[in-house]
Amino acid sequence: MDVGLLAQYVMNGLMLGMMYTLVAVGFTLFFGVLDIIKFSHGDVLTVGAFTALATYIGLRSAGVGSTPLLLLAMLVVAIPAMAALGMLIARYLVMPLRSAPALNTLLITLMLGTVLRESVRLFYPQGANPKAFPALLPTASINLGQFNLRLDNALMLAAGVLAIVGLQLLLNRTKLGLAIRAVAQDEETARTMGVNFTAVVLITFAIGSALAAYAGIMNGLYYNEINFGMGLYLGVIGFAAAIIGGLGSIYGAILGGFLFAALQTIGTVALPFASAYKDVFAFTVVIALIAWRPTGLIQEKISERV
Amino acid sequence: MWEVMQKLRAPLLPGVVALALSTAYLIALLAAEKQPLIIGLLAFAVVAVLAAHYLGWLDLVSRSFADREDVLGVYAILAACVVAAFFHDNHFVLLLFVTVLLYTVATLGLNIQFGYAGVLNFAGASFFGIGAYASAVLSTYTAVPHLLVLLIGGMLAALIGSLLLLPVLRTRGHYAALVTIAFALLLKTFLEVNDVLGGPQGMQVKGMSILGWSFNDNFEIGKIEMSFYLNYFAVSMLLLTGTFVLVRRLERSWIGLNLDALRLDEIAASCFGLDIARWKITAFLLGNFLIGIAGALFGMVGGFVAPNNYTFADSLIMVSILLLGGIGNPWGLVVATFIVVVVPEKLQTIQEYRILLFALIVIMMLLFRPEGLLPRPVRRYFPGWRA
Amino acid sequence: MSRIARQLSFIFASALFVGALVATAQAKDKIKVGFIGPLTGGVSANGLGGRNSADLAVKLRNADAKAKYEYELVVLDDECKPNVAVQVATKMAADKEIVAAATHYCSATAIATVDVYHKFGFPIIVWGAVLPDITYRAKYAEVHRVNGTMINQNDANAELISKIGFKNVAVIHDTTDYGKGHNEYFSKAFAKLDGKIVGTFGVTADQQDFTAELTQIKALNPEVIYFGGLTPIGVRIRSQMDKLGIKAVFDGTSGIVSDAFIQGLGPLAEGSLAFREGAPTEKLPGGKFFMENYAAQKYDNPPEAYGAFSFAAMDLILDSIEKVGPDRKKVIEELANVKERDSIVGKVTFDDHGQNTVAVITKYVVQDGKFVEWDNSEYATGKRKLPGQQ
Repeated sequence: MDVGLLAQYVMNGLMLGMMYTLVAVGFTLFFGVLDIIKFSHGDVLTVGAFTALATYIGLRSAGVGSTPLLLLAMLVVAIPAMAALGMLIARYLVMPLRSAPALNTLLITLMLGTVLRESVRLFYPQGANPKAFPALLPTASINLGQFNLRLDNALMLAAGVLAIVGLQLLLNRTKLGLAIRAVAQDEETARTMGVNFTAVVLITFAIGSALAAYAGIMNGLYYNEINFGMGLYLGVIGFAAAIIGGLGSIYGAILGGFLFAALQTIGTVALPFASAYKDVFAFTVVIALIAWRPTGLIQEKISERV
Repeated sequence: MWEVMQKLRAPLLPGVVALALSTAYLIALLAAEKQPLIIGLLAFAVVAVLAAHYLGWLDLVSRSFADREDVLGVYAILAACVVAAFFHDNHFVLLLFVTVLLYTVATLGLNIQFGYAGVLNFAGASFFGIGAYASAVLSTYTAVPHLLVLLIGGMLAALIGSLLLLPVLRTRGHYAALVTIAFALLLKTFLEVNDVLGGPQGMQVKGMSILGWSFNDNFEIGKIEMSFYLNYFAVSMLLLTGTFVLVRRLERSWIGLNLDALRLDEIAASCFGLDIARWKITAFLLGNFLIGIAGALFGMVGGFVAPNNYTFADSLIMVSILLLGGIGNPWGLVVATFIVVVVPEKLQTIQEYRILLFALIVIMMLLFRPEGLLPRPVRRYFPGWRA
Repeated sequence: MSRIARQLSFIFASALFVGALVATAQAKDKIKVGFIGPLTGGVSANGLGGRNSADLAVKLRNADAKAKYEYELVVLDDECKPNVAVQVATKMAADKEIVAAATHYCSATAIATVDVYHKFGFPIIVWGAVLPDITYRAKYAEVHRVNGTMINQNDANAELISKIGFKNVAVIHDTTDYGKGHNEYFSKAFAKLDGKIVGTFGVTADQQDFTAELTQIKALNPEVIYFGGLTPIGVRIRSQMDKLGIKAVFDGTSGIVSDAFIQGLGPLAEGSLAFREGAPTEKLPGGKFFMENYAAQKYDNPPEAYGAFSFAAMDLILDSIEKVGPDRKKVIEELANVKERDSIVGKVTFDDHGQNTVAVITKYVVQDGKFVEWDNSEYATGKRKLPGQQ
């Protein structure tokens, strides 16, 4: 196969993997801290993307034309908004159910995801239709044979890496990160040591949801389109990625995200009937992996969670 | 001793009255066309149930049902036949009714898996779909008699379910949930891209016909014209009765006892010598078998199968019905299925918002009444014995 | 109050309440006719346009003093999904009060429901779906269609591409019967003109990511990418083509003739080709009449490409009911006799399969953010060139 073509496939895979990873990291964070799966994560991503779009439309009609300013505004509005949404969800829907069986929390977040999705579909004007998302990054591209390297893709990839590195730094080098890791490891002891449990949980949800908003905007910029169902698909893949990587481990989430993207790309290239079967292939491998290593590739060690 | 226990049984009357009133209400609700009337009827039902709860009548009824189930079961079947007879020429109402019956069978299957054995199955609609596609393929390409097709549909669902057994057995909680969710997505995508099974366009399913009696033709008794859906109603009713009896017998047998022990505490159960794997497998396969049969019959009723009918969202609806009705309680399932299937169809004004409202109601239930509408009572060993 | 008294008063109050409810349930008779189309989802613009047009037909008829009956339009949404379509079709056909209906824009839904309409003996006229099988797969007396089929469209398409001088085409089509039909007819027509199809790719109707298919297409280096599918994925494919740096002509079918296509792509839509049977609405025999009355009603959405056909279909239904009464069997018989009937889209004749013949095919190219007829465009005169045109 042509090297350029291969490089193109690799690039496609990297972009997808980055987006899946951002979602998977969120799942892993929530699990690490509260031992729950917040299934509405994908739909928070959708709401974030739509919030950004609304901000863009609002500012454009108010006359603002500068592209960097618009992009900045979208980030500044969507990310804190989703962080706030995440905190609300944690406070009113997840924490009250801490003593209930895990299935209840899973179900309530699944239903919440449905509520978010349907709300976007019903209450955003013409929400049922896919919406064009503006292309706000420079579109210069270099053509290396079959491989077309675009500046905006490279920028987004770099931004994603920055976000994940930033998260790792936050968790490992700051006091807040220490508190989060303590709560993830052992809630009671952490409280005894003076860590404000509720505050830590709320902040963790805020961080995870902020990442979701970030991923949503990235998704919109990459495909130049958003629709109300995008969160469901990404959410399930993010969940699968977090699980095969091993819930509770950030490295696992990263591994899982890129692994899933790699599976999809390999499925596209290797299977004769093009990309139609790529999802079937990827999910089959996921099920097989779970059967082989039930708690994920990076084993859930009791001593280290996040 | 037996006579004493017999005398201690709750009276039959409250149960019969409740059944009669429910039947009358159901007929009224199904016959009503105007939106204000329907909204009024629904509001009335909510108020009436709440009032009955406070006045202590609901308690009487539930005790009556618990003790006199066999007789009341027969009366319930009669009540269903009365409703069907009332709407004998109304295609749409009968179709709705048949849908409720078949969804109840499927949810009873899920109930065995989750309510009795604690095995999470988020791919209920997928197994339903497997049964439906089986009936589509068999009725289109072969001449297998249709009753046999139903059985084959069930067995196929159980067989494919057994492929998931290894991951399901080895995992617990969230990981087990992921396995079935991944399967649900996998199956839908597979059906969509696979042209042999019709692809996204789906397949037509021939109507059922037994011994030359074609189920898809309207028929007449004397001068009265009957909708052809009555045929399907009869078969579905038989299926539901059979399943209901099976589930009840299972629950009360030593198998049910084993499954309950398994669900409540796996480790303790294994300490008592129960073979965890064996019972989980039994529950999972039996549940899928029932779901598959219901799916096969539903495929013939609708006459059409397509991948979009059997998505993850549909599986979620089934799990919600289980939750709403009260996990482990078959009567609760019947009520919940009625509510979930009939109300959105009737309330046209909220058609657009029905998914949103449904999700909100489930969230409310989970926050405030997680046991469901009719929670499963504690296992009782002797009639008349109250915990 | 004592307990007994409380219980008795509750029973009494309920009985009163139910009685009051029943009393208010008075029915009033109107003749019901139906409309089914995609009111939500990616192609909702067309569905809403069709619905408004059918509604216009009913309103105009109700305002007509010479009409024998009063009509009510029952609208159902098929979401452009075959399974939903079967459900709503069953619902509409099973309701004995609805006499006839104008149905479906999406071919995938129309082909799934023909058997349902036949099962219930429910007369329908298709207003927007172009798959030939809908009327030709089986000879059902209930099924008719006022708009044309995709065969002529694809013949004209292949002809134009060939005339401009393009020889290599890659085909992307959606995997519903609609996309597959387009693929079949276009490939046949293009092969007859000695054109070469370098690759054929099937995609699902709600697919998001086409980088896999497009990367492979890039390696094949075609001059034209033919797209057999609807607007939502048309928009995605065109924009992802740009992202991968593919410089080929985007050649679509009637599925992308919609304002939503241009709105979704902005300047990227420039130079896209599309084809549609029937003249543009303004040029139809009853076009002016239709546009004026449509504007007078102040609907939220424009009639879009097939609004006029929806109006014609509903008008035909209303004419039949006026003539033979609200009886499904009689309406079916009456519709079988439609020959050279005047309508706003021209003369309508149903052949023995219920299909009307629409001879005119309009060729479109997107120029400056609008669908312009090819012959009137600057591309035809040579002032502008399509990508890769010599």
